[in-house]
Formats: sequence, structure tokens, C-alpha cells
Amino acid sequence: MNITVAVYRGKKVVELSGDIDMYSSPELREHLMALIRRKVPSLPVNFGNVSYIDSSGIATFVEGLKCMKSYGGRLQFFGIPEGIMEILRFSKLDRVFEIYGNIEDVFDS
Amino acid sequence: MPDRAKVTVTGTYLKGLKKKVEALKIFTEVSPVISSTLDLKELMTIVMEKAKDIMKAEACSILLYNKETKKLEFEVALCKAVSATDILKGKITLDMGQGIAGWVAKNRKLLVIKDVKSDKRFFHDADKLTGFVTKSLIAAPLIGRRGLIGVAEIINPGKRDMDLGILQLLTRHFAIAIENAQYHRDSLEKERLKQELEIASSLQKSFLPESPAFRRGNISVSAVNIPAKQVGGDLYDFIDPVEGKAGVFIGDVSGKGVSAALYMAKVISDFRYNALMTDSPEIVMNRLNAILSGAPRGMFLTAAYMIIDTATGETRLSVAGHPPFLWITGRGTEVSSIISGPPLGIVPDTYTSSSISLRRGDRLLLLTDGVFEAKNREGQRMGFDNFVNFVGKHAGEGQLAKIVADYVTNFSRGVDLADDMTVVEIGFS
Repeated sequence: MNITVAVYRGKKVVELSGDIDMYSSPELREHLMALIRRKVPSLPVNFGNVSYIDSSGIATFVEGLKCMKSYGGRLQFFGIPEGIMEILRFSKLDRVFEIYGNIEDVFDS
Repeated sequence: MPDRAKVTVTGTYLKGLKKKVEALKIFTEVSPVISSTLDLKELMTIVMEKAKDIMKAEACSILLYNKETKKLEFEVALCKAVSATDILKGKITLDMGQGIAGWVAKNRKLLVIKDVKSDKRFFHDADKLTGFVTKSLIAAPLIGRRGLIGVAEIINPGKRDMDLGILQLLTRHFAIAIENAQYHRDSLEKERLKQELEIASSLQKSFLPESPAFRRGNISVSAVNIPAKQVGGDLYDFIDPVEGKAGVFIGDVSGKGVSAALYMAKVISDFRYNALMTDSPEIVMNRLNAILSGAPRGMFLTAAYMIIDTATGETRLSVAGHPPFLWITGRGTEVSSIISGPPLGIVPDTYTSSSISLRRGDRLLLLTDGVFEAKNREGQRMGFDNFVNFVGKHAGEGQLAKIVADYVTNFSRGVDLADDMTVVEIGFS
């Protein structure tokens, strides 16, 4: 997994690539929670180059989501490849996370 | 009398010879002592005492290199006859390049400093903590077969004429002895962990039903549970909520390994406590969702719980983000399309239940995602559709749970299981 934080239209966007699993999710957690601790009002996450996510990776986002909800923040996913979307749909997590097609949809929301 | 050849020996030669004899004497003394133990703590103290003795020094210390933090940490410190280890250990760490020890570690060179006051690299904090006064010191890198182990410091040495070459050889000798002790400690630790995991694995199995087979009235259930590691986060359970009804539960805790296993133990006890109080699967799911909402680190549970009338096959079930089950009838194999809520422990939600009617001869196959997310040697995943096709082809055979488990195990041959795997087969006859 590779994680970078880009700035798009003045807003921080988390860019992910590769596999998010039990080996890479601690690194993801470190980055994600560092941003969330600063109480960012919204945090868009680009899944465009993510090849796989397992339940450890999803749990990391669940933790981030719970933290953000506690102060009214929004965790927003976009660019999710079909294979990963299928996992989210399968487990009804598409009802839990805010999911958008692309970054523009996130900004329009 | 035979002629004797005359040999002229210079003073320099004799001095060199004396040093070599001295070195040999030191090595002969040191070797058996440092080879006498593989206990790292004991060895470090022996090494320090020996170095202090040879160099007639007032104090000695060893700082070990922590490969994870990339810092030097005090491991042993002897001041005169007293141990200062407790004072320094865990309190002072040095970055590579920081202080004299940090410089030695970074440059991998032995350093002799006759007056530390005139050396800007000297780091005063250790002296401040111990009350010791460092005037001069020798710092040597400890380099083993796999690189830097740490730095040894000999403080206020009384012996000033020690050959540096001998000192370097001696520290190399110390380094290898310390490295051997570290390997020994690591292999003991690995063995201890292995045994702990074996105990954890037996303990975890004891949380699951005593027998993987269960029969009530016309209902027969069998289960296979294979954790990806020694312990895992998959669970299943059979229960008698009320007379004439059988409860079958399957769940998958997020993550793998010890944390998932511990959470699985909590979940199964919460499930049993609540499932014995009601014959409504949705009530159990709603209670579990509330209980698990405080889960640490975003942990969650996908689960399905069904309560089956053991005489009629009428079934009520509630699903929380769990993969669909397969329904095998005389007409073929269907993927269930039961309404599901999100996994448990994430958000407040109201879980509902659905009803299905089993006919005699019908079978249900409940599974966790480890079944169809299994990877083969080429890194390809089995996929849900392939799994359904496989079940369709073997639907007429008995012991389907075992057939599926064997299929997944064969598919993943040569690679570790990607996830814990559980298959529960329910038959109505």
C-alpha cells in the first residue's frame, strides 16, 4: 500500500494505492488518525488505485468514521473500483460510508 | 659443543612480542568467560566486567542499537563496583551521530578521547543522572555478522598503553558473543510465542460448540472452521432458544489473529447470553449491535442468525453485512437475497428478520468470506461466482461443508490462507 496526502482545491485528499490489509492498515491508521485528530471537517479518500481491501482495512476506516462522526466530520470515499465496491455492497458497508464517483462529486456534496 | 646461531633482538621487537603475549593472555582469559553463557543480560555484565578489568577502567557501559527506532539505548552500565544500569536504562537514548557513542555507531570507528571536556560531541546527561564524572573514554563499535549491534564505552581507563588493534579484535569478539546471545534470546522468545499461540488456539476452539455436528428434530447441522493463523475471528454456534427450535449463528470478526480471536470470544459469549432470552433473531442482532458499538479500533462483526422450527423447517433469520448463504434444493443452487443490515458494532441501525420455508431435502450453506476470498499460488482469488459454481456441481453430494473446506484448502495449497474460513451446512430432512 502507498499513502499520500494531496491538496485539491485547498482541501486535503488521501490518495491510496495497492492492497490495504492487516499488514498495511497500521500505517493507514497512523496517517488517517493524524488528520482526524486535527478535526478536519471532511476527509475525501481516493480509492482509484486500491487493488484490495480486507476487513482490517475496513475496520481502520470504521474507526476513522466513528471519530469523525463524534465531532460532525465527514469521511468521503471516491473512485472506488468495481471489485472493492462489490465487497462494500456485499457487506452493506455502502450504507455506512459516504461514497462518490469522483472528487468533483465530493466537492459538490 | 655445536655452534649456536646468533640472533639479534631489538627492543622494539621485544616490545611487540610482549604486547602479543599480553593479547594472547587476554583472549585466553576472555574467550571461555564470554562463551560460558547465552543469557544476554548475564553476558553483557560479564563482558563489561571483563572490559573494565582489562582496561583498569572506573566504569563501562554498553548501548545497544534498536533497529526499529534507529537509536542507541543504554543496556548495561557499571560504575566502579556499582551498577548504574537501572539509572540509565530506558532514560537515555541517543540518535545516530549524537554524542560520542552516536558518532562511533554512525562512523563505525573506535574513538579514544583523552579529555572529554574538550570534545564537543560528549553528551553530559548520563553523568548528570549517575553523578559519575567522565574524564576520558574509549568508545568502540560492536559490529556483528549482520551489522551494528551497539557501542561499548570504557570510561576513565587506567591502562593507557593498550594496543588499539587488540582492543578492536576484543570488541569484535564481544560483539559476536552478544549477537549469539541475542539469537538465542530471540529463538527462545519465538518458541515461547509458539507455545502461547498453541494454548490460545485450544482455548479458542473451546469457545466453539463442543461438537461441530448438531441435530434437533429434522434439522442436522455440521460446521468446519479453519483459522488462517493459529487463532482467528470466525465463529459459529448452535443453540436451543426455545423447545422445538434450533438457532444457528455464524459470524466473522474484522481482522485476523489474536485481536480478532479475543473479540470473537467476547462476541460468542454475548451472543449466547442474548440468544437464550428470545426466539427472535432480529432482537438478538439489535442487542448485539448495541453491545458491540463500543468496539475498539473500529472492529466490527458480520453475522447471520437463523432460528429454525425443527419440525416444519420454517426459518426466521436476520443478517448483518454477512455474505449471502446458498440454498440447495431439488431445483438447483440459489444465492439467497435476504435483506441485510450493515455489520454489527458500526452504526445504530434497526435489524429486521426475514422468513424462508425449508422443504424436506433442502440444504443451506452458510459461510464466511474467507471461503471465496481464498488466494491461490498465482495470487488469484477464488471469487464468489466460482465458489457458487463449485457448490452447484457438488450439490448432490453429502458432507458439503467438508467438501467446500477441502476445495478451498486445495485451491490455496502452497500459500497461507488469506482469511479465516467457516462453512456451516444445515440440512432439513
